[in-house]
Amino acid sequence: MSAGFLLIHAKPSRSAVLVLSWFLFAAGILAYLYAASARHRDNPEDRVTPTIAQMAKGMYDAALKPAEEDEAGEEATTLPKRFLGSMLWKDTKASAWRFGVSMALLFPAVILGLHMGLFPYVGAFFLRFVLFFDKIVALSLLPILFIAFGIDELSKIMLIVVGVAPTILLDTFNLTRGVPPEQIVKAFTLGASDFDVAYRVVLKQIFPRVFNSIRLNLKAVVLFLFAGEMIASTDGLAYRIALLRRHMGMDVIIPYVLWVALLLFLVDLSMRRINQWLHPWFREA
Amino acid sequence: MVQGGVTVSLIRIQQLSVSYGTPPRPVLSDIDLNIEDGEFVCLLGQTGCGKSTLLRLVLGSEHPTQGHILIDGVEHHQPDRTRGYVPQKYSLFPDKTVLGNITFGPEVSGFGLLGHLLPRFYRRRREFREKAYDYLRRIGLHESDAGKYPDQLSGGMQQRVAIAQALMTEPRILLMDEAFSALDPGTRKEMQRLIRGLSQDLGITVLFVTHSIQEAIQIGSRVVVLARESASNGSSIVLDCDPRSGDSGLLARQLLDIMETSKETPSLNLAAVEVGDTQFAGF
Repeated sequence: MSAGFLLIHAKPSRSAVLVLSWFLFAAGILAYLYAASARHRDNPEDRVTPTIAQMAKGMYDAALKPAEEDEAGEEATTLPKRFLGSMLWKDTKASAWRFGVSMALLFPAVILGLHMGLFPYVGAFFLRFVLFFDKIVALSLLPILFIAFGIDELSKIMLIVVGVAPTILLDTFNLTRGVPPEQIVKAFTLGASDFDVAYRVVLKQIFPRVFNSIRLNLKAVVLFLFAGEMIASTDGLAYRIALLRRHMGMDVIIPYVLWVALLLFLVDLSMRRINQWLHPWFREA
Repeated sequence: MVQGGVTVSLIRIQQLSVSYGTPPRPVLSDIDLNIEDGEFVCLLGQTGCGKSTLLRLVLGSEHPTQGHILIDGVEHHQPDRTRGYVPQKYSLFPDKTVLGNITFGPEVSGFGLLGHLLPRFYRRRREFREKAYDYLRRIGLHESDAGKYPDQLSGGMQQRVAIAQALMTEPRILLMDEAFSALDPGTRKEMQRLIRGLSQDLGITVLFVTHSIQEAIQIGSRVVVLARESASNGSSIVLDCDPRSGDSGLLARQLLDIMETSKETPSLNLAAVEVGDTQFAGF
């Protein structure tokens, strides 16, 4: 067998793919466990690399006990009730609300991008400004947003919108411009009006790709969300991570980071499934 | 059509010229052409001679530098329902099923953007669907194909659906831009028979752009050839004839001579032309 079996023409078996795809996860966990155990042998009080047991306890407390800042009320007895009163649920709910509102506010960007791509006067009016706005580093606007909108929810949501909306808008604009002109002409010859063409022909065609673009920008959305929460917030996943950093609470920080990754993975997966379900005709390139 | 006692052609192209760019590069020069109701006109010429441009001008998606195009005596400045359109590709909306594509025209022109909110829409949609199924049968597709998306169809099937889609709104004129040029020879012949039959049954006027001499002679009731006399001039009409009158072999020779002398597209295959049962080869 030549070395070529590892190159372009290689056809790995299902079991080989399975082993290879999980290998780095296993290696990472093993490396962490080795490092944690070595550090704990040297210093049993080490807080930088908590053991699995410490992290499990930290996560148990986060998921089933109220946050320190909350007043202790009557203790819930059932597991679901304890979870709904916990620090993890409180933080997840606060971050999810900001995330959801920000995602909903991206929809006008899609509509504006569509109109800019289709209607030449709208394009001429907005394009240069949006291109300029897209180059502004959103985080540099944070102080301005805090001054303009206060340190409440609005400034954090605006940060996400300002950071991600121009990208989504320009992506929608480009996708709109990419629709073959034959399709637009054809729709007119079938009796469609300008707005029929925009919403029943072009938007329907580009929407799966726009949806994908939003999905691929999820990380940017969460990045801006975390920046806002870390700087000015009293709840949220990033607020908790920033707070625990002061106490070197790695036993909770690491599970929180993994929890955020899991949530993001689930949102990504749900968006993929929804896209396939809504657009059965769409084949990703 | 008769206007003020004078018979007016369905499509009147008057002194039409088109130039692009700066300095202006002429594409079409002094085109005069009248097309009557029910004619099947094949617009023939080599690649780049401006035949698709002429079709787009009739369609209204481009505008002439000089001259006019009148449809039933009226100038149209953008595409509309009076002229159906079947391009070479991107004919069908990829997000709609075969049935959705065919019924799109009546639905959108009858009810507009928010029309589907009206109960009346659903009653009419049943009629549109019945008509669509009728067209599906006429173009040789099965009812089971109605739920398929365009990318699940072959090229020939896609073009059949595109024709049905264009005919659903009952246009008086059908404009076809190299609609069969991406198809294999067998499918192409079937499609030629189909469109010829449909145009005769429905009595519509067809303007069919092609670079195939054979195709033009076989399906056209009239063949109009565009060619450029020199590189500095735009194309003009060099031949306008009925392929069914006179010696069709002679016509084929004339067409080939014209194409041969302009020699703008060396890749064009002029080696063989088949007219009816006669094959003219090696010109």
